[in-house]
Amino acid sequence: MAALTVIGVGNRLRGDDAVGPLLIDALSMLPDSELELVDAGSDALGILEYFEDRRQVIIVDACSMGREPGGLVSFTPSQAELVLDQDPMSLHGLGLAEALRMGESLHMLPKDLKIIGIEPDSIQFNATLSQPVQRALTIAVKIVRDELERVTIELDTCSDCIEV
Amino acid sequence: MSRDLNIKVHHLTRVEGHGNIVVNMKDGVLEKAHLSIVEPPRFFEAMVKGRSFHEAAIITSRICGICSLGHQLTSLVATEDALGLEISEQTRLLRKLLIHGATMQSNILHAYFLAAPDFLGAGSVFPLIATHKDVVLRALRMKRVANDIGDIVSGRAVHPITPVPGGFTRIPEKAELLELKRKLLEEALPDGLETVETMKALAGAIPQFERETEYISLKNADEYAFYEGDIFSSDSGAIPVQNYLDVTNEFVVNHSTSKHAKHNRNSYFVGALARWNNNSAQLGEEALAAAAAMGLKPNCHNPYMNTIAQVVEAVHCILDSVRIIDKLIDDGLKNEKPNQTPTRYGRGISSNEVPRGILFHDYTYDNKGNIIKANCVIPTGQNLANIDNDMLKLVPEIINKSKAEITLALEMLVRAYDPCISCSVHMLEVDFIE
Repeated sequence: MAALTVIGVGNRLRGDDAVGPLLIDALSMLPDSELELVDAGSDALGILEYFEDRRQVIIVDACSMGREPGGLVSFTPSQAELVLDQDPMSLHGLGLAEALRMGESLHMLPKDLKIIGIEPDSIQFNATLSQPVQRALTIAVKIVRDELERVTIELDTCSDCIEV
Repeated sequence: MSRDLNIKVHHLTRVEGHGNIVVNMKDGVLEKAHLSIVEPPRFFEAMVKGRSFHEAAIITSRICGICSLGHQLTSLVATEDALGLEISEQTRLLRKLLIHGATMQSNILHAYFLAAPDFLGAGSVFPLIATHKDVVLRALRMKRVANDIGDIVSGRAVHPITPVPGGFTRIPEKAELLELKRKLLEEALPDGLETVETMKALAGAIPQFERETEYISLKNADEYAFYEGDIFSSDSGAIPVQNYLDVTNEFVVNHSTSKHAKHNRNSYFVGALARWNNNSAQLGEEALAAAAAMGLKPNCHNPYMNTIAQVVEAVHCILDSVRIIDKLIDDGLKNEKPNQTPTRYGRGISSNEVPRGILFHDYTYDNKGNIIKANCVIPTGQNLANIDNDMLKLVPEIINKSKAEITLALEMLVRAYDPCISCSVHMLEVDFIE
């Protein structure tokens, strides 16, 4: 079992929504067997399969948080109200908020679960990553590397909400 | 009865891409009843232009997280048709196995997470997790087996990587397929049959509404068609896939940014119920028994029963996947390389059944193997006119009900078709607790 699982959520074709999968690409350059990397694409419900028997999980996704583009917030599910699509018209309405709520209700969430949210500038199709989100991606890589170091030396202190 | 009624269901929870239900009745006269779509799902034709035949399917598979496999395979077949790439029987079987996995997954999630809450009057799936935990876990178990099919056959559950033009870059091992067969028989099948029992218990809550329409699906002489076949209309019979534009006849309407489609009438139905109506005689006895148990009869004209047809198909997909695995192993797995040597360049057209209905991809390649023109007609676009026509018939029939009941009936109707509206982006919206 890897010490740390990182799940990138998002669509590579939609501008800044690609930040989750691109973080996975960047981390895959690290030669570290303690790191499990998952590109969940836009099948958010699929993340539940990566919660079982995991020590620590970090989910990275473009989030609408009312911040400036590129704003990065690391938070736990209990620190935030994830806005549910209460009345989805189709399966396409089931996103990360719904997946996390389902995981919580089924007691499937790993004890140590963090979400790194990055505020997008544009999620238009066929767009490239915006400059602010590109910078946030670099910061996210550093956060994951620090976290990995922390986990592997088994420090049990938990960093609070880090806002960058 | 003379009545004024104004219903507007604005579905704005996604950043972009949403459907709104609009109903307007004045003095008992229905002036408007339609689903308006506020996102054109036609963006990707431009995205594949200029791309090589190696890239087209990779791009189209990422259009949508839920429909990725269907787009990918349909894209591959269009490319193979355009470039004259023959595929082997083994490739054909592996693709059918992939489609079964994707169909089972989508149909089951739709039935449990969208339709069942409606039948139970729960509003959404979340209240059901506490009261029906075993049922939710069952749905997730079935999703997992479907993902296993994707993992083993295509290299990755979400965005497949091994299916390429002309074949597969990796052929699954016999041991992997045998393990998959075990999971299908020991896990997915019992769960599938339990699903039938659950849906049977809920079937009484399915609205009784009938509107006969034209049902269009693929049809294949050898089997219940998902992969390969002719287009088949319940009105006019078989039509070659090459003539798909004569079927889809897309047209623009004011209330939707997505084009509508019509063939023999002013609308037609695609999806599980159309497949069932056109091809149910080709299902095996277990699937037919499941249909009978849930009250689904041949030539069903109740659009709400689309969900039940999906569950019947899930049972079929589980059992037919086992048949395909047995055949692959009996024939002996061959470590074939994909055939990627074009024998011509030009136009290629393909069609497959994806969970939401019949899908068409149409590419034209230049003589360097790059796309110069692309067209894609997705199932949801084809269903929109039919949804509107259902609403026009339904609203007067239930006009004596409360506004809330009418609104729910309309939402359930839209959900029964499981439209692909906000394809592919799921932005997490977060309010921080101060």
